[in-house]
Amino acid sequence: MAETKSRSKRLMTTGGLIFLALGVILYFAKEPMGLNRKIYDLPVFLIIIGICFAVKGFMAKDKTEEEAALAGKTFTEFLTNNAILIAMLVLVVVICILQPRFMQIRVALDILTQSSTKLIMALGICFALLIAGTDLSAGRLVGLAAVISASMMQTATYANRFFPDLPQVAVWIPIVAAVVACMVCGALNGFLVAKYEMHPFIATLATQVMIYGACSLYFDMPPNNSQPIGGIRPDFAQIGQLRLFSGLWKGFPGISILIPISIVICIIIWFILNKTVFGKNVYAIGGNREAAVVAGINVFRNIMFIFILASFLYGIAGVLEAARTAGATNNYGNGYETDAIAACVVGGVSMSGGIGKVGGIVMGVLIFTVIQYGLQFINVSPMWQQVIKGVIIAVAVAIDLTKYRRK
Amino acid sequence: MRKIFVMTLALVLALASCSFADVKIGAGIYRFNDAFMLRFRNAMTAESGKLGATIEIADGRDDQPTQDAQIDGFLSGDVNVLIVNLVDRMAAQSVVDKAKSANIPVVFINREPSLEVLNTYSKAYYVGAKAEESGVFSGQLIADYFKSHPEADKNHDGKLQFVLLRGQNGHQDMILRSKYSVETIRDAGIEPVELAGAIANWDKLEAMKIMNAFIMSIGPENIEAVIANNDEMALGAVEALKAQDYNAGNPEMYIPVVGVDGNASALEAMDKGEMLGTVLQDAENQGAAAVRLALALAEGRDVNTIGYPITDGKYIWIPYQKITRGEKQ
Amino acid sequence: MSEYLLEMRNITKTFPGVKALDNVSLNVRRGTVHALMGENGAGKSTLMKCLFGIYEPDGGEIFLEGKKASIHSARQAMDQGIAMVHQELHPIRFRSVMENVYLGRFPGHMGVVDHKTMYEKTKALFEDLELDVDPLALAGEQSAAILQMMEIARAVDMKAKIIILDEPTSSLSDREVDHLFKIINRLRAQGVAFVYISHKMKEILEISDEITVMRDGTYVGTWPVTAENGEKLTIDFIIKQMVGREMTNQFPPREGKPSDEIVLKVENVSSPLPKSFQNVSFELHKQEILGIGGLVGAQRTEFVEALFGLRGIASGEILLNGARYSNKSPGYAKSRGLALLTEERRATGIFGILPILENTVIANQRNYAHLGVLNDSRRKSDADTECRKLNVKTPSLNTLIQNLSGGNQQKVLIARWLLTNSDILILDEPTRGIDVGAKYEIYNIMLEQIALGKSIIMISSEMPELMGMSDRIMVMCEGRVTGFLNKGEYSQEKIMAFATQFAGRKDSTAA
Repeated sequence: MAETKSRSKRLMTTGGLIFLALGVILYFAKEPMGLNRKIYDLPVFLIIIGICFAVKGFMAKDKTEEEAALAGKTFTEFLTNNAILIAMLVLVVVICILQPRFMQIRVALDILTQSSTKLIMALGICFALLIAGTDLSAGRLVGLAAVISASMMQTATYANRFFPDLPQVAVWIPIVAAVVACMVCGALNGFLVAKYEMHPFIATLATQVMIYGACSLYFDMPPNNSQPIGGIRPDFAQIGQLRLFSGLWKGFPGISILIPISIVICIIIWFILNKTVFGKNVYAIGGNREAAVVAGINVFRNIMFIFILASFLYGIAGVLEAARTAGATNNYGNGYETDAIAACVVGGVSMSGGIGKVGGIVMGVLIFTVIQYGLQFINVSPMWQQVIKGVIIAVAVAIDLTKYRRK
Repeated sequence: MRKIFVMTLALVLALASCSFADVKIGAGIYRFNDAFMLRFRNAMTAESGKLGATIEIADGRDDQPTQDAQIDGFLSGDVNVLIVNLVDRMAAQSVVDKAKSANIPVVFINREPSLEVLNTYSKAYYVGAKAEESGVFSGQLIADYFKSHPEADKNHDGKLQFVLLRGQNGHQDMILRSKYSVETIRDAGIEPVELAGAIANWDKLEAMKIMNAFIMSIGPENIEAVIANNDEMALGAVEALKAQDYNAGNPEMYIPVVGVDGNASALEAMDKGEMLGTVLQDAENQGAAAVRLALALAEGRDVNTIGYPITDGKYIWIPYQKITRGEKQ
Repeated sequence: MSEYLLEMRNITKTFPGVKALDNVSLNVRRGTVHALMGENGAGKSTLMKCLFGIYEPDGGEIFLEGKKASIHSARQAMDQGIAMVHQELHPIRFRSVMENVYLGRFPGHMGVVDHKTMYEKTKALFEDLELDVDPLALAGEQSAAILQMMEIARAVDMKAKIIILDEPTSSLSDREVDHLFKIINRLRAQGVAFVYISHKMKEILEISDEITVMRDGTYVGTWPVTAENGEKLTIDFIIKQMVGREMTNQFPPREGKPSDEIVLKVENVSSPLPKSFQNVSFELHKQEILGIGGLVGAQRTEFVEALFGLRGIASGEILLNGARYSNKSPGYAKSRGLALLTEERRATGIFGILPILENTVIANQRNYAHLGVLNDSRRKSDADTECRKLNVKTPSLNTLIQNLSGGNQQKVLIARWLLTNSDILILDEPTRGIDVGAKYEIYNIMLEQIALGKSIIMISSEMPELMGMSDRIMVMCEGRVTGFLNKGEYSQEKIMAFATQFAGRKDSTAA
C-alpha cells in the first residue's frame, strides 16, 4: 500500500516537472524556431500546468489505508468517473490543432470572464437544488435586474432615455434597486415554497411568469416602449468591462473585473455552505426535511433565506450582464437557469437534494464554458452545439448516478 | 416631399375626415420588443391619430399561433382593415384567406409575403422597404470607407476581409441584406473575402458572444470590416471589439462596423466613433403609408390618391437612407 | 427432487472497505418457516438482497429446487417464485389496494386494464386470507398490518414458493400478529416456504421450524426449533449464538429512585383531531423513566410529537418546571430542554447522505456558532467525544450515517440529543429494529442520563422492555390514558387490560 501511494505521488511530481521543463524549453525556443504563430502561448500554459502538478504531487497528503482502498480504482473506472473532463481535454487538444490561436492567454482569460456570470448564477441556483428543488425564475430575475439597473444608468445626452428627467444618480443606487427588486421576488419564491410547501418547480414557475410580465410592463413604459436600453453611462459599464493590469506587459489584455468578482462570491458561498449554521441547515433540509424539522431547525426561515440569497446572486449577475454588454432588454437572462442547472448537475450537485460542493460547481461551469466556447471558436453550427450540450448533460448525470448506484 | 404630404393631408381631411372616426384598424406586430417595430408602431399611432381613425395594435410575441389568434379576434370584432407584420412569412396565405372570406382588406408591413399570395386577394397590399436596398447601402458604406481610407486594407492585398453577422435564419431581410452588401462591394471593384459568418438572431448579446469568438479565433488584426444585418448585432460586435481595446479611439485599432435600422443607440455609437454607419429604415414614412393605404382600402377609395406611389398594383416601396458619422438627422 | 427448496451456498459479498458476507449458506426446506437471526449488521438483509437480485454476490451459488438459479434483478427473482415483504412498505398511496396488489402485472389485454377481473381476483384472494379489506380502498389509508397482508396476498397470487418476511411484526399489535401467523400456517401447509427475519425471540420460537444464525457476516449454524427428542431451543441459547457470548441480564440494574420534584405536568391535553389523543394528564418526576404502553393506534407517538411541537394541541395546559410551556415549534421545545427521538429513524431521524459528524451536531449548531459562523474544531471534538462515549462503531466521523447499522444510527441520534443537554428525553421506540447487544447499551445510556438528573419518557411496544426499564407505566388506548402502573405491580395482563379497555366498543371513539 505504501508503495502505491508514493508511486502516484512520484508520478505526479515527475510528470509536472517534465511539463515544466518542456514549457521552459519551448518558451525560449519558439522565437528562434519561428514557432510563434504556431504555438502562441503554449509554453506558458505548459509551465503553469507543470507547476500545478508538481506542487500537488509534492504536497499530496499520505492517504489512510481506507481512503487508498477506496481510491484504488482501476483505470477504466478512472476513465468513466472523469469522462466529461477527459472529453473536454480531448476537445481542447483538437481545437488547438485545428486553430492554434486557441493557445493564447487572452483566450483562457476570456473563457474565465465568460464563466463568471454563469458561475454566479450556478452558485445561486445550487441552493435551490440542494433542498431538492429548482429555481425557474433565475433567468428572468437576471433580466429584471439588468433592465432596472440599465434604465437608470443612461447618459444625459442619449436620445431615448428611459427616464428622460432622471438626474445622473450615483452608480450604487440602481444596483441596490435592481438587487432589492430581485430579492423581493426571491422572498415570494421562498414564501410559496416554505409556507405552502409548494414544490419549488411550481412556485418558481409561477414567479418566473410574473417576473417576466412585470419586467416587460416596466420595459414597455413610455417613452421607452420596449426599445432595447442603450446609451449606458461609462462609469456603470466599467463594473462589467473594467480590465485590471491591462498592458502589464506588451499584449497582455488585462484581467476582466468579472473574474475577481466571481472569485470573491465563490469564496463567500463556500464559506456560507461549509462554515455557517445556515449552510449546514441547507444540507440538512435537503438531506431529510422531516428529520430537520424534528432536529428543531426552523425550516420556514431557512427556505426563505435560501431563495432570497439565491435571487441576490441572480440580481448581481443581472447587473453585471447589463454593465458588460452596456445595454439591456427584457429578454436578457432568458434560459440562463437551465444552463446554470446543467452546470451544477455536471458539477455533481444532486437533483434529489443534499449533495453538492462549490468546487464541483466551479468545475461544472468551467467545463461547460470551455466546451461551448471551443465549439464556437472553431465555428461549429449552433445547432450542433445544442446537440453536444444535451449529450454532455445526459452523460454527466448518468455517470454520476452509476457512481452512487454501483452494486 | 413635405409639400406632397401637406397637400395629401389637406385633401384627405377635406374628403373623408368625418367618416374616419368610424374606421378601426387592427394591427398585428410580430414582437413589440423590437426597436424598429417600435418606431413603426409610433408612426402608425401618430398617423391614425392625425386622421381621426382608431387603431388597435397587438403584440404577436414572436409566435405565429399567438398572432393568428389576434387576427381572428380582429376579424370577428369590429375592425375594418388589417395591418399585419407577420411573425412567419409562410403564414401569409392563411391570413389572406381569412381576410378575404371576411372581405376585410389587409396591408402587410415589414415582412413581405410572396407575390403569388398577394395576388390571391385584390385587397392585399404590402408596404415596406426593398430589403436588397439596405444591403446595397451597407455595402456602399463599407466600399466608400475602404476607398477613402487606404490603411483599412490592413494586409495590403487589395481584398476586403470581413465578418458577417446574420439575422434570424431564413428571414428574407437576412438573406437579401447579406447577399447585396457583399455584391455591392464586389461591384465597387473590391474583392470581398468572408472570413467567417454566423447567425446571431438580430440579438446584441448573441452577436457579442459570436464576435468575441471571431476576434479570438481569427485575430482582430486580420479583420478589415464587420457587416451586421441590423444595428443591435452591430452594437454587440462593437462591445466585443471594445473589450479588446478596438474602436475605442486608437486609430491603429479600428475595424469599421456597419448595421441597418438607425437605432438611437447606433447613432450614439456612431457619434463616439465606435461604429462606421448604418442604413436607416424609414419607419415614419412606412407607418404613415401603411395607415393611409389601410384607410383608403377600408373606405373603398382609389389607392393612388394617398400620396405614396403604388408599384405593380400591390406594393408601396419606401426608400432607405444611408447614415454615417456626422450625418445624423 | 432435492431435499431443499432453496440452497444458498458460500455467498460472499464485499462492499468498499467491508466484507458484508463471508461464505454464508442458507438451506430452506419446502413447507417450513426458516428464521434468519443475527444482530443488526450481521448481514441478514444483505443476504436476502442477494437472493432477491438487488445485490449481485461476488461469490457463491444459489440453487432453487436443486437447479442452479441465476438472479440478477427483483423481476427475475419474482419470476422464479421468490417474493419479499420488506420491513418498510412503500405502497402507492393514492391508488387502490387492488392496483397495489396487481402492480406491474395488471390483468387485461393489449395494455387495457380489466378492472372487473382485477377486483374479483383481489376479493377472492382476500377472502382466502380472511382479510376484510375493500379492494377499492386507497392503499394510503390502510394500516401497516393491512399493507403487509396485502404484500403477502400479492406474493400468494404470484404463486411464490418462497416468501421472505423482513421484520414483519415490528409495527403490528398482538392481534394482528396472530392473524399473520394464521396466514403463515395456512400457506406453510400448502408447501410455501418462508424466510423469517425478526428480533423477537418468542415469536420465532412460536412460528418457525428451523433457525439459522449469522454473526458479523458469517454463518454460525442452523438448528431445528424442536429437536428430534422433543427438546425446544431456548432464548438464551439463540442469544448466545447471536452475540457469541452469554447474556445473563437483558436489562442493566436500576440504581436510585426518581425524586419527588415534578419537571413536567401535562393537564387535559387534547388534539384538534377527534380520533387522536384526548384529555391526557400526567406528571413526570425528575430522574424518572415514564414508560408509555399501548397498542398500535393508541396515539402515543402523536401525543409526544405534539408535546415536542410537531403537531398542534386544541386544549389543555403544560407546565415545564412550573412554568407554562406552549408547543410552538420543535425549535422552541429544544430551547426549553426537550428532546425527541422519533420512532421512524430513517424517515424523521437520520440525514442518510450526510456524515456522522453532521448528524451528531445538527440539533446543537447554535452552540458552536458565533454570528452564524461555526467553530469547526469544537463541533468535531464534541461529536467525537459523544460518539465515543456511546460506543458508536464507525471508521470515522466522515462516514455517511446510512452506512451504519440500525443500532449505531440510533446511538448517533441519541448522541445528537445528549449534546443539546436536554432535561427531558422523549424516546419513541428507542430500540426498535436494533440487535440485542446495542439494546443493552442504549438501556445503559438511559440510566446514565437518569443518574445525571435527567428525566425520560419512553414509548415502547415491547412488554419486557417497558416493564424492565420504566419506573412507572402509563397505558394509553385509542387516544386516552387508561391507567398508571407503579413499579412492583407490573404484569403483561394488567397492561393489556388497560391497553384494550375500549377495544371492541365501536362507539368509543365517537364519544
